[in-house]
This record gives sequence, structure tokens and C-alpha cells, in this order.
Amino acid sequence: MASSSALRELQRELEAKANDLSKIQKDISKNHQVRKKYTIQLGENELVLKELDLLSEDANVFKLIGPVLVKQDLAEARANVRKRIEYISAELKRLDTTLQDLDEKQNSKKETMLKLQQRAQSLQAGKAKA
Amino acid sequence: MHLVLFFPFLFGLFPDDVQVQCVLTDFLTSEKMEEAAKGKGTVTSLSSLFPVEDAQKAAKRLQDSIAERQPMLDQLGGFVADNASLINLVRRLPDHLHHDIMVPFGKAAFFPGRLVHTNEFLVLLGEGYYAERTSRQTLEILKRRGMALDSQVDSLNAMLDDLKLEASFLDATASEAAEGLVEIREDYAEETSSEKESEPGPRKQASSSSSGTDFTKVADEDEEFARIASRMDELEKEELEAENEAVSLEQTKDEFAAESYDESDEDEQVEADLHQYSDHKSLHQNVKFSEKAMSRKPPELTEDGIAANKESFTDQLSCLGLTVQPIAKVQDRSSHGNILASDVKSSSGKALVAPQVHNAQAVDLPRSQEVPLQSSKPEFDGQKAFTGSIIERTHNLRTTSREQTTTTSQSSGSQPPKPVSRFKMQRK
Repeated sequence: MASSSALRELQRELEAKANDLSKIQKDISKNHQVRKKYTIQLGENELVLKELDLLSEDANVFKLIGPVLVKQDLAEARANVRKRIEYISAELKRLDTTLQDLDEKQNSKKETMLKLQQRAQSLQAGKAKA
Repeated sequence: MHLVLFFPFLFGLFPDDVQVQCVLTDFLTSEKMEEAAKGKGTVTSLSSLFPVEDAQKAAKRLQDSIAERQPMLDQLGGFVADNASLINLVRRLPDHLHHDIMVPFGKAAFFPGRLVHTNEFLVLLGEGYYAERTSRQTLEILKRRGMALDSQVDSLNAMLDDLKLEASFLDATASEAAEGLVEIREDYAEETSSEKESEPGPRKQASSSSSGTDFTKVADEDEEFARIASRMDELEKEELEAENEAVSLEQTKDEFAAESYDESDEDEQVEADLHQYSDHKSLHQNVKFSEKAMSRKPPELTEDGIAANKESFTDQLSCLGLTVQPIAKVQDRSSHGNILASDVKSSSGKALVAPQVHNAQAVDLPRSQEVPLQSSKPEFDGQKAFTGSIIERTHNLRTTSREQTTTTSQSSGSQPPKPVSRFKMQRK
């Protein structure tokens, strides 16, 4: 009787761990998507900056804000884009670190799950024998 | 015959096995097996290293990722085409002061209109930034964009190619594991060069009888091997730069004495290949060279390799003749009820060498008499190791020429009725 209750507890624990693991995996995939988006934005911004750098000083630059085009200073536009690139890079770095964290967590969770499974199995085997 | 090397692009999947492994079937396998039987190395079945299901799973995953990337590639192709047509349009627009066009109005309607200021463009640079540009400047921007797109397409294509190769390789691995290939590792020990010279001429008798069956047997595997070998070359070259620093690391990882293992084992196996496949010589040579480069480039590389090649060319027939003798031995052994596989198992894992040799010779007299034939094999034997007792060798060497005639006749007599791969025989 005691062994069966222990087994039940183990199974409950295992379930909880599995839930945690799936949550972490969801987080990781979400993180990946965000990362992808940021990488694309970074590429676009870099392209823009390159083009802006190639423009001559007297060129007219506009920024589309909502439905209207607003004339902007070229230097200002460059500064803005540079800042944006910086921000995106920082964000990417942050995402990388969180991703690493999540990976580690995932691995540790997997290990604990494996251990739990083994224990449950051994318990079950013992029960079958008895 | 196969020579399959597992390269680091696989190591992601099997990270705990970082050594370069050689897998050879048919002749080399059984030759090795025989040596392994004498306690020189270990033999593990490939399926235990890479389970069939796992390999298949990995291949399937790769296929999935390939399918995932295909639409991306198509999209990029669409972008490239759009960009090209836009470049054409922008180039043509300033040719006239104005163009009569149909202006889209809403989704359904058009009305006639006229394009003026045909040399003024408001170009979207991205991220909501627009710039006023002339046609010429716009063209420059568009061309730069086209280049960026092209580079993206190229990288995606390269990735796809890589994935495809990996997938096909994994498929091959899976099928090989299913077939029951074995992987052989063995230590390398110096052999005295005097044994190189001990290879006498009269080996050519058996060559004609054996070579026919050999080649038909390996013909189909040959193609695949060539494909893999060429791919290996590519990868080797790519990795060589990166690997140069990593060599030391890899060597420390190597559980065997890395230097001796890499140089000797692979080299000798590849060189043995040279004898079997003179038609694939260049390929093998490439493999060999890259291998050598990876494993620290021994100084004797050039002369040695060239010499070996020359010899292999001239002695090709005799070498083929040589390969027959192990067959005879195997058949001998299996008929004695002395199953080789068990021999291998017993010896694998044991680092001891000499005792095994003694043992084998004590147990089986005919086999012991054939040992000299192996030890006095041609050039590539020079790099193989015979760490067994010298006394027996010298004794055997003396008998070599005498034994030859008997064994060759024996082998040519016994082989035709049993054209089974020795390797397969041993598996039974």
C-alpha cells in the first residue's frame, strides 16, 4: 500500500515536472520567434543606415509617421537609426542570455524527469515482483 | 568496399564520439578483424554506436528543416525577380517627360492619368524612412538591394545543400548500421622496415582468380564510396584551417595515443584501399592527404606516399592476390568451428597484444603458419604494427615463400564455391 502511494506521488511529481518542462519549451520557442523578428529588424536598420550614409547632405529625407510623411534632417535620421540599431543589438544580447538560461533550465528539468522516471519504473518493477 | 569517415558535422548529433572513425567492410574489415582477433584493436558494430532508428530520425528531422527552408528560398527568388523588374522600370521612366498611364483607383477601378516629374523618386529605405532620389540614384539603391538579396539567396542555398548532404549521409549511415557494419579501432605500433622488403614476387598466381569476384562484389558500393569520399574531401578542406588548432584538442580527447592512431590506422587503411582500387586512386590519395594533414603531417608523408603509390601500382596484382589469403583463412577457421566473431570479441577491448598472438598460433597450427603471409604483406603493412613476438616472425618469414604456394593454391581453390563476403560470414 505504501509503495503504491509513493508511486502515485512520484507520478504526480513527474507530471508537474513535465508541465514545467513544456512551459519552458514554450518560452524558448517564443524567445526564438522574438529573436528572429529582432534580427530581421536589425538587418533592415543596417540597410537603412547604409543608404542614409550614402546620401548626400542636401538630400531630402522623410519619415512616414502614421499617414503623413514628415520631412526630417538627414543627420537626425542617421542618429535615430543608429540609436535604433544599438537598442536592437542590446535587446538581442539580452534575448541570448535569457535563451541560454532557459536552455540550462530545460536541461536540468530533463535530467530530473529522467531520474524520476527511472525511480517510478524501479518502483513499478518492485511492485510487479511483489 | 566502403571507407566511411565521420566528420565533425555529425558530431553535433553524436557529440560523445569525437574521434574520426574508419569503417571498412569486406576485405579490409576482415583483414582488420583478423588482426583484431590477435588482440590489436577493438571491433564495435556500427549499429551500437548509431542506432538505426536514431539515424533515421535525424535524417527525417533534416528533411523537415529542408522542407521548411524551401519556401523561404522561393520567397527570396520572388523578391529578386521583383527587384529586377523594378530596376528595368526605373531605368525606362526618365526616358520621357511624362507617361500616360492608368492610375489605379481603389481596388476595382482605373482612370487615365499622366506621370510627370519622371526623374523624381521617393524611395522607401526601410523603417519608414524615405529619401528623394533621381532615377540614377534610385537605380544604385536598387542594385545594392539586389546584391543583398543575392547574398541571402546564396547563403540559403549553401545551407540547403549542406542539409541535403547531411540527410543523405545520415540515410547512408542508417542503412549501413542496419546492414551491420562494424567499426574497427586499433593501436598503432612501429614495425621494422625490414618486413617491407620481405614481400616476394610469386604472389600473382591467385590474383586473377580472386580479383573478379572482388570487384563485382564491391562495384555497387564503389560508387557510393566515391561520392562520400569526394564530399569528405570538401569538408576536410573547409575544416582544415579551423581544425589546425583543434588538432591538439582532439588528440587529447583521443583515448588511444592519438598520434599513432590517426596516422597509422587511417593511413594504412586508406593505403590498403589504394591497392584495391587503383581506379579510384586520386580520390583515395586526396583522402589520405587530407587525413595526414589533419593528423599532424608526418615528415615522411611525401616520399612515403609516393613510393607507396608507385609500389601499389606495380604490385597491384600481387596485392590482390594477397587479399585472397585471409579468405582462405577465414573459411579455414569457420570450418574448424572456430568462429572469428567470438575471437574478435574476446580480443576486443584488450590492449594486450603478444599473448593473443601466441595463443592464436598455439591453438591453430595452419593459421599460425599463415601469419607470416600477413606480416610480410606489401608496403602498407610497413605502417601497420606488429607488436607480436619477433622470434616467431623471423621464423615465419623464412617460411613465407614456401607457404605461399600452398596457401595461394588453397585460396584460389576454396574461394569460388564460397563467394560470400568474409564479413558477412563472420556475422553469422
